[in-house]
Amino acid sequence: MPEADAIRLAQQGDAAAFERLYRLHSRRVYSLCLRMVGNTAEAEDLTQEAFLQLFRKIATFRGESAFSTWLHRLSVNVVLMRLRKKSGAETSLEEVTEPDEDSGGPRRDFGAPDLTLSGSIDRVNLQRAVEQLPPGYKAVFVLHDVQGYEHNEIAEIMNCSIGNSKSQLHKARMRLRELLHEALRQKAREERKAAGNAAGED
Amino acid sequence: MSALALTRRPNGKATGLLIAGVLIFGVTPARAHRLEKRFKVDTHPVITIHNPDGMVTVKAWTRREVMVVANHGSEKVEVDAEQVGNRVDIMTHQLVDTIAPEDMRADYEVSVPEDAELQIHNDSGAVSVANVLGDMNVETVAAGVELADTAGYLTVKTIGGSFQCVRCAGRIEVSSISGSFRLLDLRSLHVRAQTSTGNILFSGEFLPNGIYKLKNYSGVIEVRFSPADSFDLSATSLKGKVVNEANLTPPAHRRFFSRIGNSLFGSINSGRAKVDLTSFDGTINILKRQ
Amino acid sequence: MDCKEFLNHLDPWLAGDQRREARVHLRGCSHCRGLVEDFGALRAAARELSASDPEPPAHLWNSLRAQLEQEGLIRTGDEAGARSSWLRRLFAPIPRPALAGAYLALLIAAAFAASGPIHRRVNDYRWVQDTSTEALRAQLNTTETATVASFRDPNPVVTASLHTNLAIVDNYIALCEKSVREDPQNEIARDYLYTAYQQKADLLAQMADRGDYGR
Repeated sequence: MPEADAIRLAQQGDAAAFERLYRLHSRRVYSLCLRMVGNTAEAEDLTQEAFLQLFRKIATFRGESAFSTWLHRLSVNVVLMRLRKKSGAETSLEEVTEPDEDSGGPRRDFGAPDLTLSGSIDRVNLQRAVEQLPPGYKAVFVLHDVQGYEHNEIAEIMNCSIGNSKSQLHKARMRLRELLHEALRQKAREERKAAGNAAGED
Repeated sequence: MSALALTRRPNGKATGLLIAGVLIFGVTPARAHRLEKRFKVDTHPVITIHNPDGMVTVKAWTRREVMVVANHGSEKVEVDAEQVGNRVDIMTHQLVDTIAPEDMRADYEVSVPEDAELQIHNDSGAVSVANVLGDMNVETVAAGVELADTAGYLTVKTIGGSFQCVRCAGRIEVSSISGSFRLLDLRSLHVRAQTSTGNILFSGEFLPNGIYKLKNYSGVIEVRFSPADSFDLSATSLKGKVVNEANLTPPAHRRFFSRIGNSLFGSINSGRAKVDLTSFDGTINILKRQ
Repeated sequence: MDCKEFLNHLDPWLAGDQRREARVHLRGCSHCRGLVEDFGALRAAARELSASDPEPPAHLWNSLRAQLEQEGLIRTGDEAGARSSWLRRLFAPIPRPALAGAYLALLIAAAFAASGPIHRRVNDYRWVQDTSTEALRAQLNTTETATVASFRDPNPVVTASLHTNLAIVDNYIALCEKSVREDPQNEIARDYLYTAYQQKADLLAQMADRGDYGR
């Protein structure tokens, strides 16, 4: 069933149409939620909430934007609201909370790092690093680099300007770079320590 | 002695006389029937309101509850509010087949969490919403609609009702046949407003990367800009006139322009927003904001 | 090009715009070279993340469907079948058989009106004029006669508003049709005309709907 037909039928309460829309979009929505919150239980909960809201409001969808854009805007809002509820603070694309050195966050690199990330990033480390991003950075990074949305689509989803989306993506990548470099340095330190211990035993 | 003079006297005798006056002259007291209900809701509740005639006022509060206070004077209608999951449905039911216009009226005051989504259908009377940040769909025939400090995806449709939106963010789409619009200090990046014979007033900033499309058939479209704004302008009135106070430079961005009727194209500053004004035979005024 | 300028160009560089001044800068700047390598690695890793994403678990749809049924958003069985005629499927918000033809023609016309760049619209409009405007107008007039005759609403404000605005739209249609006849190439007049047709169909649908409300 083509998506346009499914939308029309879903607006009349057709069960098969609802399921079709769910099958078409659930993977991307679930992926977005999973990348934003980092655990499957909460991602499932958020995915269900996003689709519930979508289906409750589907009668108001008038086709002015792409259906997937509308759905993803809804999904991002659901996730950001949940993150805001957990942190107790306003979460918007404009607000950035950056860990500073006093709070024990990763050190800033002011010079060129001695380790390159090329060939060194594994999925687990990347996901851990993404989870440490402020919500606004995280959303733009997941939408652009993970899910492949363009900045004009992200602007529509996040209700921000294209320039804002680009700026936040750059900051997200810089932050991830710092976090991943710190992870690499930590790993190198542990390896040196393990090698030293082994030599000592010998 | 008038009822008004009586009420100035702070004594029991005055009150008694007033009550007697009410009973004798049949002055209707404040609404005879009142309903108050509260519902606990989760995040993003949906609230639907269907009302043929009356005032609908919706405000946000910090509780995770929806509170409905409804008043109506006649026994020929019934007001009802019920919850299904995370949705609260509020409706005025007509209890008899034939009903006089004065009996149809019901007034609602609804308090909702700020992330609530609203679907409001109120034929006549007035709709007022403040500080609600969720998406909204409002439809009226003759009722005016006033929104303040809202956000989300907002669609408003009236036949003849007026529309006013102050400090609204999100995405705004409003259409009417004869209603007039006032769009003041908006924080929205996407505004589409269309009326046939109503007037449209836009006074506020055109935000960078925003898209603003204002269209009518006749009447006046008036935008009040600041010299600090940055926008590409396209203004066309097929049979009416375009009055301009803006110091426009040739368009900053290439577009195909259809030069029909009285048209004006150009940019202010770097043309970061896009403003399209179209009228069939009305007047378009592009004026400096005072 | 200095580092600040290169940073502004970083996204286009990663997307393949490797202009000369940027290449020259990179040859001499290890800091920016490191950024380019790392951002490239980050993007590649992010894409792999996406490719490895799991499907949501099967029970999620079951749980969602149960919730939708409980909220009455899903209709099943005969009710759904009865509503699935091809006409109603075409314009779900206003599924009234009396307006089916008018709305169908409007949807076609509006689709042509809205599609394509403005300078291509003229030819499309000519096709639409020849084939559907006359039929559309006739359908709307027939529907208007029947609808206005049977229209009842106890609210005099609503009745007055609907009648007044119907007259406004009829007047507006007449003036737009006149403009289009005088200048068939005038795409703005055509755009207004189709908008007017849509408004009229909408109004008639609202009038046809009166009497069902509140029962």
